[in-house]
Amino acid sequence: MEVLSAQQLTRNYGDRRGIEAVNLRVNVGEIFGFLGPNGAGKTTTIRILLGLMQPSHGTAKILELDCWSQSAVIKRQIGYLPGDVRLYSWFTGKNALKIVSEIRGQDEVRQRGHALLERFQLDENLQVRKMSRGMRQKLGIVLALAHNPRLLILDEPTSGLDPLMCDELYRCLREAAAAGTTVFFSSHTLSEVELLCERVAIVRDGKIVADETMDALRRRAQRAVTLRFLPNSGTETLEPPDFLEVADRTDLIWRGEMIGPTSKLVAWAARQPLEDIEISPPSLESLFRRYYQSCEESA
Amino acid sequence: MMRGLWRKTLLETWVQLLLFGLALFLVPALLTMLLPQLEKGLGQVLGAFPFMRDLIQALLGEDLGATINAQNLQAIIWVHPSVLALLWAQEIVFCTRVPPGEIDRGTIDILLSWPVSRRKIFCAETIIWLTTGVGLCLLMWAGHLTARQFVSSSAPTSPWRVLIVLANLYCLYVAVGGIALAISAASNQRGRAMATVFGLVLASFLLNFLVQFWQAIAGLAPLGVLHYYRPAAILATGAVPVADMVILASVGAVAWVAALEVFARRSICTV
Repeated sequence: MEVLSAQQLTRNYGDRRGIEAVNLRVNVGEIFGFLGPNGAGKTTTIRILLGLMQPSHGTAKILELDCWSQSAVIKRQIGYLPGDVRLYSWFTGKNALKIVSEIRGQDEVRQRGHALLERFQLDENLQVRKMSRGMRQKLGIVLALAHNPRLLILDEPTSGLDPLMCDELYRCLREAAAAGTTVFFSSHTLSEVELLCERVAIVRDGKIVADETMDALRRRAQRAVTLRFLPNSGTETLEPPDFLEVADRTDLIWRGEMIGPTSKLVAWAARQPLEDIEISPPSLESLFRRYYQSCEESA
Repeated sequence: MMRGLWRKTLLETWVQLLLFGLALFLVPALLTMLLPQLEKGLGQVLGAFPFMRDLIQALLGEDLGATINAQNLQAIIWVHPSVLALLWAQEIVFCTRVPPGEIDRGTIDILLSWPVSRRKIFCAETIIWLTTGVGLCLLMWAGHLTARQFVSSSAPTSPWRVLIVLANLYCLYVAVGGIALAISAASNQRGRAMATVFGLVLASFLLNFLVQFWQAIAGLAPLGVLHYYRPAAILATGAVPVADMVILASVGAVAWVAALEVFARRSICTV
């Protein structure tokens, strides 16, 4: 079942491009990565999903409800953490949870929120104006999670968090997903999306350039390959196969990248006068960079 | 739901409300205590400085002819620039909080992530704005009554007439606040919204003042909100200025509806 869907979502800021013909589908219980560099259109998409902005074209739906006209109803089921979270300077964990529980009309928000404050090691009486950026981020996360939402929309949630707290957040999100919560996780850092998400959409220049499962991406990801030939094996005339892109070539050592299954390389290598072969794990980072580069080049 | 929004608004604004409330208690009290001094020397002042008559008339926004007396002077308490400036400053600060204040601070994302429609957020703000207006007017009255215990005027005004003035002042508060809300609803920058509203009320004040000296612009007088606020006439006759109050309340209501619709329908863009 789809929790979130967007079709041909477009939004311009006057002459400036926002997003263009964005199509998205996120299924229930999925941890969905929304990946892109700064300024790619991630936040614009999220603001449309939250009903803060009306799309110029296209539709966005969450739980089958229109994101613009039924925004208030949808938000009962959404937990949201903005990128660069700004909270009221007079907020403390305690009064923020009280206000949010009153607004949501759910007393259990306070109990759950207090448990999350403890989990993220946050003093409930400390005012936001006295908090570090990381602490504010933690409070934002607590407020997003406290009402046990069906959909969590997190815009770069780990910015400002130390590695231990990042791990705690990942654990928290995995638990939420296991309990049926859908997570829409926006980030510009591939490593955390790779660690957490089952599926990822890559956005660049306001357009979706890839929307695939992590496994599919990994299959298409390149592996760094180093081939070390035996001395006097006559490699000068040897041509690399199509699936191997050699970037650095000396008499005895070739370094490059390969795409596709390793079995093809192994089969080819078995026929070559090789002393040694090194094949790295698939690098999504390089695939990610390649996506960006190809888009930049086409632009 | 509303209780949470009210709690949030009050936690955010109580210091501002307290300070303005205190000032609006003290200034009318101070003016009430100072007026008897002016009353005593009124004849001498007007004789020695004839232009003072024009200045007082301009301040009161009334052509009083030769009838400037102690009772007319009581109206100064309710039209004094410091009183109006404090009242307007309070509501301009309050009414420009949502959305431009929230956008400036970056907290609009959190506010609009709560499961409350924009209309409800706006109504919650409106209820506090209107309620605090009543409270501030009553504080002004309380300041005036308190000071009256310590001084005696040669022309004591009836509390009923003062209440009518305050009702008229409240309608003025509604009109100015409504305009402030309408300008804010379409704005992304609080400073710009505040400056625009301040410019409008200042223009209204100057128009009301200048009309007394410059008959050529008399036709423009109805364009200013202060044209519909005449404490001197109310204190002199005790008549309820129904038409003036209806006009002010209507201006406020129309501006409020426009603000509500703009806020509910606009895209909140912070990038």
